[in-house]
Amino acid sequence: MQTKWISKKDFQKLVSKWVKKHAVYAPVHNGKELAFQAVEKPEQIVLDGYLNTRYPAKSLFLPQSEVLMSYDGILHSVENAEKEKIILGVRSCDVRAMRLLDHALIDDQNPDEYWKRKRESAIILTLGCNEPEETCFCTAVGGSPFSTNESDGLLIDMGDAYCIYLLTEKGKVLFKDLPDTDEAQLKSVKKMTKQVEKDMPALLPKLELHDALMASFETDFWKDVSQSCLGCGVCTFLCPSCFCFDIVDETVRKERVRNWDTCMFRTYSLEASGHNPRPTKAERTRQRVMHKFAYWVDLIDEIGCTGCGRCVKYCPVNIDIREIAAAALQQDFEGMKK
Amino acid sequence: MKNCYEPFPMHIDRVVIETTDATLKSFELTFDRKEDREEFFSKYNPGQFCQLSIFGKGEAPIGIASAAWEGDFVRFTVQKMGKFTTAIHAMHAGDPIGMRGPLGNGFPLDEWKGMNLLVIGGGCAFSTLYAMTKHILHPSHRADYAEITALYGTRNSGLCLYKPVIEEWHNRSDIEVHQAIDIAEDDWKYHVGFVPAVLEEMAPKPKNTVAVLCGPPVMTRFTLPILTKLGFPPERIFTSLEKRMKCGVGHCGRCNIGHKYVCKDGPVFTLKELQELPNEI
Amino acid sequence: MASTRNIKIQTEAKRLLQEKAVDVVIGFKKGTLPYKMQPCFIHDAKEVEQFELNGLCSNNLAVYLNHRPKGEKTAIVVRGCESRAVQALVLENRHARENLYLIGVPCIGILDIQKLQADEQDPILAVEEEGDQVRVTYRSGEKTFKRIEILHDACLHCNHPQPMHADMVIDEPGYFEDKPFDKSYLGSFRKLSIKERNARFKEEAERCIRCYACREACPMCTCEECFVNHSRPQWTDSTTNPAGQQAWHIIRAFHQAGRCVSCGACERACPMNIKMTYLTDLLNQDIFTEYGFEPGADEALLPPFLTLGDDQVKFTDQQEDSHAD
Repeated sequence: MQTKWISKKDFQKLVSKWVKKHAVYAPVHNGKELAFQAVEKPEQIVLDGYLNTRYPAKSLFLPQSEVLMSYDGILHSVENAEKEKIILGVRSCDVRAMRLLDHALIDDQNPDEYWKRKRESAIILTLGCNEPEETCFCTAVGGSPFSTNESDGLLIDMGDAYCIYLLTEKGKVLFKDLPDTDEAQLKSVKKMTKQVEKDMPALLPKLELHDALMASFETDFWKDVSQSCLGCGVCTFLCPSCFCFDIVDETVRKERVRNWDTCMFRTYSLEASGHNPRPTKAERTRQRVMHKFAYWVDLIDEIGCTGCGRCVKYCPVNIDIREIAAAALQQDFEGMKK
Repeated sequence: MKNCYEPFPMHIDRVVIETTDATLKSFELTFDRKEDREEFFSKYNPGQFCQLSIFGKGEAPIGIASAAWEGDFVRFTVQKMGKFTTAIHAMHAGDPIGMRGPLGNGFPLDEWKGMNLLVIGGGCAFSTLYAMTKHILHPSHRADYAEITALYGTRNSGLCLYKPVIEEWHNRSDIEVHQAIDIAEDDWKYHVGFVPAVLEEMAPKPKNTVAVLCGPPVMTRFTLPILTKLGFPPERIFTSLEKRMKCGVGHCGRCNIGHKYVCKDGPVFTLKELQELPNEI
Repeated sequence: MASTRNIKIQTEAKRLLQEKAVDVVIGFKKGTLPYKMQPCFIHDAKEVEQFELNGLCSNNLAVYLNHRPKGEKTAIVVRGCESRAVQALVLENRHARENLYLIGVPCIGILDIQKLQADEQDPILAVEEEGDQVRVTYRSGEKTFKRIEILHDACLHCNHPQPMHADMVIDEPGYFEDKPFDKSYLGSFRKLSIKERNARFKEEAERCIRCYACREACPMCTCEECFVNHSRPQWTDSTTNPAGQQAWHIIRAFHQAGRCVSCGACERACPMNIKMTYLTDLLNQDIFTEYGFEPGADEALLPPFLTLGDDQVKFTDQQEDSHAD
């Protein structure tokens, strides 16, 4: 794999160049929190520290509310070609989630054109996590803080410079005139990343967890686990690998819109006859956890949770999906933490 | 680029009130564009459904109730239940409407060639079985299948769909039709009782027979054990499921049972497949 | 070593469960993060040692009464706002009082994590409370706060931290005294012009992601079908369009008028840190002025908007402008 080295000062200059020709999105502090926004000045970009954006990067490709088509006598589907974007500073967990969403939305007979157009016109640059948060557990679900196989390039912060892994042709083009890393630099990168990964939670036994969850389907386990759940949508709305949406006709603006939806709401699976296959919180919590840790495994042999930790951090009642997974495996939760 | 959420522009050609209480109507839709019609019929297989669309009212998944040979239209039998179905019930011949489809997997008719068919339907869920039976009874297909037995149960005789055609079927020699209503009525010539009980009485033989069942959840729940009792193996019992749907193409996530989507991997499943999935109907 | 407060809560819970006076006791236990506590539901007397109450207990436990199975005998640990929420729900006939047992705990206040975390990039590793001091260990070092400096705003404006209508109150002092109804903090908002108020409101509402954490955390939001879920007719925009965000917050505030107990659980549940108690406080201040009514405070009085024309509603003679200072 080709790797390049660039000082942070030169990187800022490079980003200034990009901003002139492309739409550049990066984490920016908007006064309240860190969020992905279009960037005019490279100084706005926040690539230091461990903090991930609160709102997941998937919103750049699957916006929370998106107009699919409008109808004022004649139907107009939204078909604008997407401008090319560079999305800089996405964490590995969010990048892995986007590949999961590719599978859900475009790897079939009827690809979702809206997602596809946005994905194809974006160049994604991952930012490695030198200091994962207390709530991070990407390694437990099969990911890594320094993922090299799911975006166009990976930036690793080495103090006063970045080491850049070029992962695709699109990525190579952006960094073409840079010097390659030398052996000493590469060694220091490998040393640092190895140390970080060593301190991360151990890999969950994927198939054992899948089987334990399937066996728990009809038991009271879910009634216990869901008792404190409020039934809000925070976990699913901030989750980078959740993709469920609702399609609604907004009559005032004459638009057919899709909005993020959540399996945690009672109305999600409520049928017109009044029958609800998931009538209580127990079934809905079961659906969310099993979708991530069992059904995704059935589909592509990978856990569908990417370990970003947002649901753990922002759940109003501290329902911890790591704790639920450990409980399903009948293990002590301590074993899952860093 | 084909947009999987964009409906075909259609028009309502004919509206038929199917039941005496008018809660069920059949709508025959024709295509505005030739290429849409050709695309639809190149893919259509009985058992599939479409998402019907009325801008401003939303969409609903409705089973296709016509066979391809019937003409250049697509029939849907709709029960008046919620926002969308109330809106379509207020529509007339000549009104525009949208349609996305055909969606879902449909019945595996090729796999059933040479076998006997036991068709069991309840209430308004009979529509896709009706389409399938019409398809099979056509002279170009009939010889591919052995004996056909149909059992169609409704709460009362007024709720029976497609009455003229079913009357005709009673007089055919290449299909044995049984009908049932819950409570006895004057002038009723056929069975009285719930479908599971009537089925047990009929005692159809399982040998070389495929059972296809479409009905409301409560009927399905009590009929499946009867079929098992009669000796039908789970891989030869087929049923069509219903779920709340929005996209119809396996993207929005809501119609899943385990890792399968009712709209994409179904709605037709064998009992064997359902037994391997979590119990979430 | 458990504090005396926690031991007293555990002792009462144990007694209730051993005597089979209740089926379950709802309280708080340690969470999985240094700055979180989890609501917990204990059915077995042997497990009561898990109960703990501290400033990190940020939820209003009364909300769980709306989730419990019918007919259950439920004990619940309540501070001031929780006890008023329970009372308000009982008066609205949502719960049978005879099936509830309120374990009153004089309130020690709820900490605002946002105030603790000035720099989000410096993680909180531990929070230790000792009386009116709170010592926080960050990755960068330690800092000690006075409890009152980092209290949630709803607690700062609370006039009933003492539990009300409880079956028993544990013998352990809280840190705050009851005081007369006082939402004078709203004075600065009331001085703003309509245009300025609108701008402030929109600034908060525009961050809303329609997750409804505020609704689900609120014990008073008990509608089986919330107005945002209606389709015939569809009352509000369903998207994150400003029209939808604003409609959601304004209409919910009006549905809470005379009912909201100002606990602030909604703000603490919100993942986008949106301020919203000011909306219900504005309405409740007007209701207090006109009718002398405070949600959940009285033994029998119902909220004025539920008793139109009923002679139970008391009117006061206070002038409209007496609170606009």
